[in-house]
Amino acid sequence: MDIRPILFTLRRHKLTCCLLILQIAFTCAIVCNTIFLISQRIGRINTPSGIAEAELVYVQMANIGSHADAKARVAEDLAALRSVPGVTSATLLSELPFDYGSNNMDVRTDPAQRMPTLSATQYFGENAVKTLGVQIVEGRDLQPEEYVYLSDVFKLLAQKQFDKLPAATLITRDMAERLWPGQDPLGKRFYVGQGLPFTVVGVMANLIRPGQGRLEVGAQYSTVWPVRQTMEEGGSFLIRCAPQDRDRVLRTAVDKLKALDPDRIVLDKGTMEQHRRDFFQNDRAMVGILAGVCIALLIVTALGIVGLASFWVAQRNHSIGVRRALGATRGNILQYFQTENFLLTTMGIGLGMVLAYGINLFLIMHYELPRLPAVYFPVGAILLWCLGQAAVLGPALRAAAVPPVVATRSV
Amino acid sequence: MMGYSMELAWHGLRRYPKTTALAVLTVAIGLAASMTTMALLHMLSADPLPGRSQHLYLAWFDAVQAKSQTYKSLDNDWSTYDYKRLKTADAEALLAAHKGVLQAAVADLDAQMASDQREPSNEHVLATSSDFIPMFGVALRDGRPWTAAEDAARAPVAVIDTELAQKLFGTTKAIGQVVQIKHHPFRVIGISQPYAPQPHFYGLNAWAYSGSDRESIFVPFGAAVDAGLASSSTDGCDDVTEKSKQFIAIDPIHCEWLAEWVQLDTAQDVAAYRSFLEHSAQQQENSLASYGKKPQWQLLSVQQWLTLQNVIPDNVRLNVMLAGSFLLLCMVNVAGLLAAKFMRRGAEVGIRRALGASRRAVMLHHLLEAGMVCLLGGVLAWPLTLLGLSLLRMQDQGFTDLARLDVAMFAGLFALALGVGVLVGLVPSWRVSLVQPGLQVKSA
Repeated sequence: MDIRPILFTLRRHKLTCCLLILQIAFTCAIVCNTIFLISQRIGRINTPSGIAEAELVYVQMANIGSHADAKARVAEDLAALRSVPGVTSATLLSELPFDYGSNNMDVRTDPAQRMPTLSATQYFGENAVKTLGVQIVEGRDLQPEEYVYLSDVFKLLAQKQFDKLPAATLITRDMAERLWPGQDPLGKRFYVGQGLPFTVVGVMANLIRPGQGRLEVGAQYSTVWPVRQTMEEGGSFLIRCAPQDRDRVLRTAVDKLKALDPDRIVLDKGTMEQHRRDFFQNDRAMVGILAGVCIALLIVTALGIVGLASFWVAQRNHSIGVRRALGATRGNILQYFQTENFLLTTMGIGLGMVLAYGINLFLIMHYELPRLPAVYFPVGAILLWCLGQAAVLGPALRAAAVPPVVATRSV
Repeated sequence: MMGYSMELAWHGLRRYPKTTALAVLTVAIGLAASMTTMALLHMLSADPLPGRSQHLYLAWFDAVQAKSQTYKSLDNDWSTYDYKRLKTADAEALLAAHKGVLQAAVADLDAQMASDQREPSNEHVLATSSDFIPMFGVALRDGRPWTAAEDAARAPVAVIDTELAQKLFGTTKAIGQVVQIKHHPFRVIGISQPYAPQPHFYGLNAWAYSGSDRESIFVPFGAAVDAGLASSSTDGCDDVTEKSKQFIAIDPIHCEWLAEWVQLDTAQDVAAYRSFLEHSAQQQENSLASYGKKPQWQLLSVQQWLTLQNVIPDNVRLNVMLAGSFLLLCMVNVAGLLAAKFMRRGAEVGIRRALGASRRAVMLHHLLEAGMVCLLGGVLAWPLTLLGLSLLRMQDQGFTDLARLDVAMFAGLFALALGVGVLVGLVPSWRVSLVQPGLQVKSA
């Protein structure tokens, strides 16, 4: 189809054309970036945790007073929890996956290294691997005889008896790959604090690191230590059971814990699935807002195209009649308006790509976002072409329906 | 002429009702989106204590006997906190100096609390000194604040708010009752109104904005330490004990945990306090030198402090920008619609011009018509904005509870609508005013 007559006509409507092109360009730029932001958030929400989320419940408690026999207390608590029917495993874990904050340490592969290679979280708790349901892909789990109490670790640190510290740890595959790319991590040593060495005895498939700001900087950088805690140092009881037993187990567990020691209160309790939902609450809200903006933008733009095209069709009623009388088919008229829209949209998209890139640069500078992947440009273009064609179809069909006899009428 | 132009504009509006409705709706959605996000930003950047906050300053100097710990670690997180707090002895020294009009040391703590009648619950405790209540404008319903003498005696007294009194004792008349904090009895001497300035500028380490969190009990910080309460975070500790390095219980002697706020009413007061603070910092020079540090001190106004801590969430600013660009798009859209609509009456305008209407009259008529579209959009945007804000409040992000439309923002909505109207109408009206007299008559 010859586009010269279309361009010639468009030149007579410079202002409206420019405004339409500008509008499509803005839409293209904003939609590309918003979809990218949405995909970032969805990526976060879908971060794999590596744990048996559907089988876990937790109870977080706080002591009101302090206890002299904290170690005996926690042993008794855990025994009581394991005796609840349906419970397969229980532990007092230093921090839970999907907590808002996390305890982290700097890890070096060489004690002399000035900057640490990475920062990773530390999970403490007897039976942590079994209770969380973490999969060990290489090496072994931690053995019961390796465990020491956290309070004793602090004593050893204070007395500078570093050689008596537990040396075995588990790390995740992602962490191993970052520390020793392409090598077998088993038996390798990493260094923490003032150069204390620890040996990797097992590698876990995945174990998510808690902390809102930590997912972007190594979501799976987690370690598990042969260290037990008492309630004095905080932490939460984590209990594993069959998914359908969770509510009952949680209720019984809280009752038992309260009966054993009424001098403490429940700070938080729930299922791990709900804990995960809460953790990503803000991300889901943001996805909702961004998707809403995206849809609103597309609707407004579509309505703008419909409005303008309708006006043009009405304005050119007479000349359409003349063309029809001179032998143009309905298809020709339909095609005319479709091509016109395609040309305008294409110009808008061209400008929009440049704008999209600019907005992305701005976001990179101010919000530490990654670069917009190139795939968003063709996707955005196709989206807007389809939108334009769909929006113009109605007015174009109305134009095609104009009968040739209109040409004979005077205005 | 104005009246006639108005009349023409009103007629013009009703000529193509569908297009007009489309334009009004588009403007309304754009305005509502912008106003919703701007209202939230406006609330978040509001003055936490109008009339008081301009006289409040955070005072800090470095007295930590350890190497500087504030390096940036690999994952871009400050490895230590930096809330400009002080160790107990230094805070007490600044309090005792009485160099400000009023001064208070402040720390946010958490504690389990009980009365004889009720189940224990977890509450936020503000450990502070006697000047806090008059200085920060905490309104007392009953009883009295504690005195400097009670501060010095580390007396276990407490001021609790009406809601905690109701919760613990079932009545707000709770003067003389006893609150158990970690099994330590505190005598209630005052009942306050719930106190929750936004942002929570004097305890940003605990939270910045919240519709639900607030300190429900105020106690002397000495008595809080005696009861075994400890801060859960610190800005830095002396390099002397292993205990001070633990993250479990912060040692109040060797770790920074108290923020020192002073009230300074005049510029002279501020200058005098600055030199006093500088002097305090200089006195630390010798002890700091062995850790490779130079004396450091800061006196920050509330506004400087909020800016430094970057309290307004990034998301909120991002949303304002997003909504702003959406409004821009709606404006381009409406400008396009109006341009098409105006140019369609080219023939009429040609006749009007031929009959003697000036270019200015034509432009005025069309500008008014554009203005009317946008004002109507503004009227429609009002309920939409309220709807947007109520949607925002339903999201639990801590600060979203604060999303409200105040008078200033309501006026802002209409100012924005008018501004948008003029901007949107400018180009199409100018274009239509260029129509040559008479020429259009022929072509029609």
